Amino acid sequence: MSKPSVMRESRAGRTAATALMLLLAVYFLLPVYFLVVASTKPQGDLAATNGLLFSHFDLFDNLHTLFTRSDGIFGRWALNTVLYAVLGAAVGTLISALCGYALAKFRFRGREFLFSVILGGVLVPTTALALPLFLLFSATGLVNTYLAVFLPSIVSPFGVYLARIFADAAVPQELLESARLDGAGEFRTFFSVAFRLMTPALVTIFLFQFVAIWNNFFLPMVMLQKESLFPITLGLYEWNGQTARAPLLQQSIITGSLVSVLPVIVVFVLLQRFWRSGLAAGSLK
Amino acid sequence: MSTTVTRTRLAVATATAGIVVLAGCSSSGSSDQASGSSCAPAKGKVTLQYWNTVPGMDKVVALWNKQHPNVQVETKNISNDQYGTLGNALKAGKAPDLAQVGYDELPNLRTQSAFVDASACKAATAAKSKFVPWTWSQTSFGGTGVFAVPQDTGPMALYVRGDLFKKYDVAIPTTWDEYATAAQKLHKADPALDITFFDPNNAEWFNGLLWQNSAEMYGYSGDKWQVSVDSAQSRQVADYWQKLISEKVVRTDLAHGSTQMYAAYQKDQIATYVGAAWGYSMFRDNLPKQAGKWTVVPMPTWGTSGSSGDWGGSTVAFMKGSKHLYESVEFNTWLNTDPDALALENKLGGLYPAATAGLDLPALKQGVPYYGNEKIFDVFAASSKKIDTSFAWGPTQKTVNLALQDAMAKAAGGSGTLDDALAAAQAAALKSMKDQAIPAEAGK
Repeated sequence: MSKPSVMRESRAGRTAATALMLLLAVYFLLPVYFLVVASTKPQGDLAATNGLLFSHFDLFDNLHTLFTRSDGIFGRWALNTVLYAVLGAAVGTLISALCGYALAKFRFRGREFLFSVILGGVLVPTTALALPLFLLFSATGLVNTYLAVFLPSIVSPFGVYLARIFADAAVPQELLESARLDGAGEFRTFFSVAFRLMTPALVTIFLFQFVAIWNNFFLPMVMLQKESLFPITLGLYEWNGQTARAPLLQQSIITGSLVSVLPVIVVFVLLQRFWRSGLAAGSLK
Repeated sequence: MSTTVTRTRLAVATATAGIVVLAGCSSSGSSDQASGSSCAPAKGKVTLQYWNTVPGMDKVVALWNKQHPNVQVETKNISNDQYGTLGNALKAGKAPDLAQVGYDELPNLRTQSAFVDASACKAATAAKSKFVPWTWSQTSFGGTGVFAVPQDTGPMALYVRGDLFKKYDVAIPTTWDEYATAAQKLHKADPALDITFFDPNNAEWFNGLLWQNSAEMYGYSGDKWQVSVDSAQSRQVADYWQKLISEKVVRTDLAHGSTQMYAAYQKDQIATYVGAAWGYSMFRDNLPKQAGKWTVVPMPTWGTSGSSGDWGGSTVAFMKGSKHLYESVEFNTWLNTDPDALALENKLGGLYPAATAGLDLPALKQGVPYYGNEKIFDVFAASSKKIDTSFAWGPTQKTVNLALQDAMAKAAGGSGTLDDALAAAQAAALKSMKDQAIPAEAGK
């Protein structure tokens, strides 16, 4: 008698858990759904129709308006964002890998102290750094250039931390020694042996950096004045300030927001396999 | 939702404020001695900085840059935190040559010595005759100086859903008394229908109503400011709207320009809009289905006075520290009087020109399809001519606006009245001026 009741209970429990997950999924996806629906509407339907129901399907018109507005400035912003995010994340990942590997595999004086300092860096929010960075860049004349956003983007204390933990766990000392015995230099050893073994962690770092730079708003806002250097986030913000005088901008802001989240979703779907194994590996230590 | 937005903006603004201020400290070596009074053309090529909030202004400037290779202008859009950005740049000694400043903010920035007097330039003083009189008296502070050139205005009028008035057989009001009667009739005919909405967070709009009734908020004589925010004239306006609010024939739950506001209009819940010229595109673009149902008539008047009000509008001010006053004047007068420039600003930025020549732009002489091909801008042009020219803003307008909004929100919520709001704003203005050591007294 007791056995089926336990089973029923666990089934009930499972159903409850699934229902909860479903509810949460709906909760998290609702804004995205709204964004999709709103992007298909003409400006006149935004306030006039139910926000969660489709009305006229004007998505392609909206996209056309978005990309031709102000001589196609949105395309420029999109390109800038890709440039900042892809290049920044790639270079940032490489630097993190090098640092993490060095901290894990080389013994030198002050190693743990250095690592602690980097760990401390994880705790400092990037927003808090925007002001000192602005002053620094202002003094060197780099404000209002690509480099002003790019240079801070390639630094990631969390990436270094993750790379070190992972190099510790996934790169056996013996393998490195045999590579050295075979006559490989340090760089060769790193790129041919360690780098490959660390790939899952590196993808994780890349993703973290990519998303962080893609969504970065405050740093570009502080650093940039020229519209042609803006990333999408800042560009949309600027448009948003002008809707009182140009109401039709609102639709372009919504469509622009949709366009701007798509690449992040695509990158996540493509790289999520690596992402999961990378996170798990980090959690072991 | 709107509170969150405001908060984020505030946070961002505060953060940037710190940055620019610090940047100013770090580069205190640079000199900013260029005193503005002399007006000599520069030798060689000049680059001017011009900050504004007008959509499409870069296109207008591109037109100028093409025609004037030796005076190049760079624009920056500061719509997200106009006065914050400007104030910080001023403190840091990095203000642009020219900046967009609203009429109501001019006196405040002037007390902070933000401007330079361009009256040494003949072209500046000569421009006076080209503008609607009240705009020029505000940029010159009633004197002979030229601290800014008027750019656009917001003459007010009444947007009316003609079809609803017809449906319920209510006459379109021409006076505020008739307006109140119409409010009662419409609400009685359809309990879900109100004549308009009163947005307690929109002091600028309320100021437009005060302006119409010649409720002078400030005077200046004997080296002292006279504050008269709380006056018989302003109380007349406040009591009027208080009555409509108390009788629940106006909505108080809608923020101007919000999605909720448009939704209420879309559902035929509101029959009129007391608005300015620049508002015509809001309905056209957000409520296309109501095309042909809207009409624009003169603002209801107080008794026999035909006065109208102004809501919003801006100037382009000459900022302190500019090293190229001559070129700034050249560009500024072109920007705000040249027919091509005015036409482009009207088309891209929705500006309703302050220049008298601008009132004759072809685009402002035609019927507007959304409004049943009526020549609605004729109504605004007429309104523009009936705006009280002696109305002046004071140096603590922002404080007044905030105090008004705080108390108006209470009145809308049923605790307190709009009269209380005026009293609170009056006290806040006097206190603020005392704190800033600006000599002031209560006016009559």
